[in-house]
Amino acid sequence: MRLTTLLVIAAVISGLASFTKAANQVDRLLASENKGKKIQVAPVINDWAFMRRAYVDLIGRIPRDSEIRQYMKWPASDRRTKLVDTLVQHDRFAERWTVFFADMLRIRSNRTGGNSLLAFVNKSIKEGMSYDELAGRLISANGKAGSTPEVGWILGDDADPMALAGATAQIFLGKRMSCAQCHDHPFDKWTQEEFYNLAAFFGKTRRVESSFGRRMVYTTESKESSVLWPPELDAENRKPRKPAFPYEVKEDVNDHHVKQLALLRDKEARKKTITETDPDKLVEDVLGDIDSRANKGTLGVDTSDSVLNIATAAKEESRKLKFEQELYMASELRGNLAKWITSPHNKQFARAFVNRVWGELMGSGFVNPLDDFTETNIPSHPKTLDYISAEFVASGFDLRSLLKTIIASDAYQRSHLAGADKNVRIESESAFVASRSRRMISEVMYDSIVIAGHLEQAKHLKGENVRTVYDRVRVRLEGSGEDVPVEPTPIPTPAAQPNMTMAKKADLGVPTGYDLEKTIELDFNKALMADEEAPKVEMLMVKSKEQIEAERMAATPVRRTYKYTYKTVPRTFDDNPSYNSSMRMATPAPRPHFLRVFGQPSREGLGEFRNQQSSMRQALMMINGKMIHEASRVGKLEPMYRLITGRTKNIDKAITLAYREILSREPNAEETRDAKELLAAADSELDGMADLRWVLLNCHEFKFLP
Amino acid sequence: MSNKSTPCNDYQISRRTMLSNTMLGAAAGTFLGMPVKSLLANAGVDHKPKCEHVILFWCGGGMSHLDTWDPKPGRPTQGEFSPIKSTVPGMQITQIFPRLSQQLHNVALIRSIAGTNGAHGRATYQLLTSYNQVAGLLLHPGIGSIVSHEKPRLGDLPAYISITGQAPRAGYLGQKCESYFVGRPGEPDPYLAFPQGITKVRGNKRLELLAKYNAKNRAARPASEFAATEQSIEDATSLMRSPALKAFEVDKVDPETLGRYGDTDFGRGALLARRLVEKGVRFVQINRGGFDTHGNNFPAMENHGAVMDPALTSLIEDLDVRGMLDTTMVIVLSEFGRTPRINNNAGRDHHAPCFSCLMAGGGIAKGAVVGASDIDGVQPADRPVKVPDIHATICHAMGINHRKRVMTPLDRKLKLVDGGKPVMELFT
Repeated sequence: MRLTTLLVIAAVISGLASFTKAANQVDRLLASENKGKKIQVAPVINDWAFMRRAYVDLIGRIPRDSEIRQYMKWPASDRRTKLVDTLVQHDRFAERWTVFFADMLRIRSNRTGGNSLLAFVNKSIKEGMSYDELAGRLISANGKAGSTPEVGWILGDDADPMALAGATAQIFLGKRMSCAQCHDHPFDKWTQEEFYNLAAFFGKTRRVESSFGRRMVYTTESKESSVLWPPELDAENRKPRKPAFPYEVKEDVNDHHVKQLALLRDKEARKKTITETDPDKLVEDVLGDIDSRANKGTLGVDTSDSVLNIATAAKEESRKLKFEQELYMASELRGNLAKWITSPHNKQFARAFVNRVWGELMGSGFVNPLDDFTETNIPSHPKTLDYISAEFVASGFDLRSLLKTIIASDAYQRSHLAGADKNVRIESESAFVASRSRRMISEVMYDSIVIAGHLEQAKHLKGENVRTVYDRVRVRLEGSGEDVPVEPTPIPTPAAQPNMTMAKKADLGVPTGYDLEKTIELDFNKALMADEEAPKVEMLMVKSKEQIEAERMAATPVRRTYKYTYKTVPRTFDDNPSYNSSMRMATPAPRPHFLRVFGQPSREGLGEFRNQQSSMRQALMMINGKMIHEASRVGKLEPMYRLITGRTKNIDKAITLAYREILSREPNAEETRDAKELLAAADSELDGMADLRWVLLNCHEFKFLP
Repeated sequence: MSNKSTPCNDYQISRRTMLSNTMLGAAAGTFLGMPVKSLLANAGVDHKPKCEHVILFWCGGGMSHLDTWDPKPGRPTQGEFSPIKSTVPGMQITQIFPRLSQQLHNVALIRSIAGTNGAHGRATYQLLTSYNQVAGLLLHPGIGSIVSHEKPRLGDLPAYISITGQAPRAGYLGQKCESYFVGRPGEPDPYLAFPQGITKVRGNKRLELLAKYNAKNRAARPASEFAATEQSIEDATSLMRSPALKAFEVDKVDPETLGRYGDTDFGRGALLARRLVEKGVRFVQINRGGFDTHGNNFPAMENHGAVMDPALTSLIEDLDVRGMLDTTMVIVLSEFGRTPRINNNAGRDHHAPCFSCLMAGGGIAKGAVVGASDIDGVQPADRPVKVPDIHATICHAMGINHRKRVMTPLDRKLKLVDGGKPVMELFT
């Protein structure tokens, strides 16, 4: 339960025209910076292709047939802007961009506070929290894992000053300073001393585990800094390092965009709907506040029978209030660092983020790797990058505005250069006048298969797919002597992924078989109220997985003779599966999981970007996967069925629907003819349709963006 | 299989190390009463790498060295197990490996690994990659990825396969060097066959159609973009159709053989590993957990012995009988050892400064013991072996230049192995 409430920032309401204006300026600047290059400008894509790109990039899945119809009904003149406006307000917008932030911030569910951080980021995106505020909170927060979800970021690196200095510089400033931890940076100007200066901002931060009856983890500030200089452990006269910023930020009071930001912030301040908790607020007020929120159900719990619990918990919370204020004393040092980093005058802060977002949408950044700005690795189009960054600042560091600007640009809407000379093509793609090949990222591909195949709910009638499978089970031979060994049966360990039932199978390793395509959604509301849930799970985490296993080994009586037999046991079930969205799954997924196989990063190392290369494992999962198979099969409960059988049968329409649902376009005459042949040659038209859909889901056009 | 890739200066350095090591090695050898072969005689001879495959048994949690490869009879640290007589005079392991003791003439032990990481995560990372984990900076490739990166693939099966549990990642060596994952040995992998209800005829027809559709897609786009995807589909289908896949079907092996390996996941893993190596797989890692014996160390270790003894012994025997032991290295490796002191829960805690590992085959000296721990197994008494030395040894046995540098995302080249030197006493 949290007393600090999020600021709800009123969405920046700007006319469509302003984004188009900014986008036009982006294209003008790009053109001027491209002068003299041997490039070929690709035409702008058609409405169909734009729709698919926008859906995939903004809400992380391809459109449904009904959404295509609605889009095509809008007048062609403002169809695209209208779509973008709709999609940035879509429920799934925050889901898709949480994946982006989870990659960038390296959010891991198995870290203390990891799931709460994930839920917090999701909520911040949903509510439109500005990027400077989000970054500032992550850098400066102190508190308990779960109830102050922001600290999940500090805890992700175990509050280690060196790791955090490296992460802060690389993630928020696009500067890879980590190398300077051990030596002066070989390719850049950073010295080891400068790195230590930055680390010193984190020097007093401590990760504390305490158990007042139950285990909890929090961060707090100690009086002494742990960052000492000189770095050699045996050096004499090691002294705490004084924090200093790695470079100077010049304040330009006449900066047009900074002025715009100031105006905007003034306006927002007047509109602020919810106030932050006042530390001097009387306990009674706090209680009242919580009670009223509980009654309204804004805490995201089932209020009908939990109001009482909440009130009790609130009383407990308020008693701890004073104590915790000291415990979680805000970090002054990190507060200063956050202010310096997120300052609108610190151009590199906006630049680094814009470069990442641009890279996410275009397949390549102005600077590559996306987080490696150096004096020798400079932006390919510095003026364009600076302009977009300045606009981003002026918008109040608003992600939606940034996306709208980029997506409205011709640069985003370019088609591919087919048939051009290879060098010209590469040069043109680098100049952002032709589109690169982009494969859907794993989560998006997963969710798109679910949508295209109507797999969100069971699509067959109950009992239609009853199957009997035969499990081969190893059983002990009765009476085969007293010395019968028992291979311990795995027990679930909640350590790795507490909220994923999959973890039950994963205790000795990882899930196997078709489980690799399943996802279990985390409850983000619960994760934000993690106080009640998390400690129980964390208690169990005190023992290592191996230790639990070792204990079980010890508990198993020692036996020497091996006598087993196998029995084949039939199991009957209705094979009528449905699939969740993959966007709320514990992160990162287990390694052989579909999401990881298609490039979800481990989120451990800095600078670890998605690997979008193809692999044999991917091909096996697509060709033989259960999900694709089920997506291809026609279910009685989906619209396709009625177009293939019975009175409403219309094979032409059925083929068109397959193309619309899977490839977000209509088939041409040749494709329709081919598909008809395919259906006619199959054992049944239903089988033929399954084959067609299987092929469409497996082909390049499905995986790669138009 | 030639030495070409290994620069000469490697050998000069290692020769010098060898000479100094030889003295110590000889002393230790005499002390333990083992036959000491003349290392000096071999020092000038160029090493011919024999090893083509590696089977690594990974013991998660930190396996007690005192209760396995380095018994301390008569000491308070001995614990509940006695040493057992083996086929090599003076070379003893504990009683929990009765069958393996009869194969020690094929085995080498290192008893002086001087580890530096006492926490599970960091130790696992280093023991499997040779590098120390640098929080959040970079992912180093595991030894299996290094092998599959450096040695050409043989046959239809993937070069690097991990069984039950997670192998380390390929890091900067790229997706191609990631391990192919087998969940449970003997459990069919559904991704190697068409989904249930799709006949081979229909599945193949689908693949034909897919090739046609992809060809059309390709015409509309710059061709190179899709080539890799199509290659991966081809690789996948050729794997699906490969007769070598039969190697995975250990559940169909005769009960007698299964029984010999011990009918456990670990035993079946060992059997599967042998069958995979026979089909050309370069590196197999079999994972077993449950060695983190903070409490009740002895019954737990006795159980581990009961499971591991038949598996390891049968594997070494079978490789030997088939003439494959010379080209296949078997390694039993863990995160660290356990404390010589037995704690109040009859357990042993983490102990990194000194522990052991077992190696056999692939050109590794037979019946050799490298290094020794002190009287209670607390510290190396002789010939301390650094963790990266183990990886350098594996590379050396396979003719891989462990000092070769590869590019990393830090825009900096790093050596395949973090500065280790091969343990030359193992190649005599």
